Amino acid sequence: MNIQHHPSDDLLVALAAGRLESGQALLVTVHLDGCSDCRAQLHTLQALGGVLLDEVTPHSLAAESLNRTLARISAIPVRTAPESAAAPLAHRQSVRPELPSGVDWPASFNGCQVSRWHWMGPGMRWSRVQLGHAARGNLFLLRIAPGCNLPRHTHSDLELTQVLCGSFNDGRAFFGPGDFDAADSSVHHQPIVQADRECVCLAYVGGPLRFDSRVAGLIGGWIGL
Amino acid sequence: MAMHIAQQLKGKQARREAWYPWAGGSYMAPVTDRANMRNNDELVGWMRAVATRADRQAFAALFKHFAPRIKGYLVGSGSAGPLAEELTQETMVALWRKAASFDPQRAGLSTWIFTIARNLRIDHQRHAALGAGNDRPNDWDADQQPADARAAPEDMVLLAQRAQGIQRALRELPDEQCRVLRMSYFEDQTHTDIARELGLPLGTVKSRIRLAVTQLRQLLDGIDS
Repeated sequence: MNIQHHPSDDLLVALAAGRLESGQALLVTVHLDGCSDCRAQLHTLQALGGVLLDEVTPHSLAAESLNRTLARISAIPVRTAPESAAAPLAHRQSVRPELPSGVDWPASFNGCQVSRWHWMGPGMRWSRVQLGHAARGNLFLLRIAPGCNLPRHTHSDLELTQVLCGSFNDGRAFFGPGDFDAADSSVHHQPIVQADRECVCLAYVGGPLRFDSRVAGLIGGWIGL
Repeated sequence: MAMHIAQQLKGKQARREAWYPWAGGSYMAPVTDRANMRNNDELVGWMRAVATRADRQAFAALFKHFAPRIKGYLVGSGSAGPLAEELTQETMVALWRKAASFDPQRAGLSTWIFTIARNLRIDHQRHAALGAGNDRPNDWDADQQPADARAAPEDMVLLAQRAQGIQRALRELPDEQCRVLRMSYFEDQTHTDIARELGLPLGTVKSRIRLAVTQLRQLLDGIDS
């Protein structure tokens, strides 16, 4: 993948610090699945967390803190096999809608609920993505036929987009597989999918989308954007 | 080492030719760095003793070093005293259980422990938000995703040593940027909260974080070159 557009460092810092809301975190981790540059960057920022931990002002512990911790350890059943570091989630993916042939689900979708494709207009389908716990914002997949365009719109809040396959141009730039985009209320755009291939994007919208045309607005309202 | 770090850095920034006079090659390592290195070897040795022999004395030594720092981090992150104490003990119990999976080639010990404490804090917040008895371990979690939880083989080069470079770079960073990074990791604040506290627009906080990360990266480039 020739990735041109990456999440900004403030998003990676928030992820490394554990302070990125989970909807946005999904978009960023899906990007990381395909981008070794950003993975390396995240690991540097995680290491920064460790350095800051070394330098933090120590806080006094409760009386008997060590003994209580040792007692908790004694209560752990004897382990038969060492626990692995970060056991990846068991592959317990629910039924997911099909993707265009040759496109795989990024690993970071593990644990997500993904609905079937719903029709939202000629050449346009969408699917709801849920994380299980109450997350702010809306997460959804868009599947747009070659040459189609999304209605022209702006956002009241942040919109994040991660391209899974295909490509689009929104007048600001060209976005291809693996690219990440962040747009705020200052961006007013109309993504047009390139003619050669169907485009699937994962999108996060922090607040309602504002479509220019009334019909498109009705569709947006109907699918919950 | 500089080469390895440079490889870890995001290509787009690594190629940027900005020059900062304070990032020059004449940097002298403070004397304490040697002490810290030896200290780190000692800590890693204790981890090995815990992992291979379930050595409680080694655990006690690790506890003495890390538990007050973990609690300092948690208190700074907004956890009240008793909760911070509880999460500190949980973090140390997790250290005991997962000791065998700690690989000093793959991550610095402080980074590894920071990540455990960070994840326990997030889990607790989520659990509290859901209400007691509503634990849903199957939900999607950013910290369970491959990019966040595990370093890919190509990203593993000298991760542990990177911490030392970061430690030095942090000392060279302008106070204002250091502060915004510290706030990002160590206070219970989203970027929006930080903006409010500093009386700055959100965009300014985000760009200050981005600037801080860019300079940190350039300093990492400068150190050891």
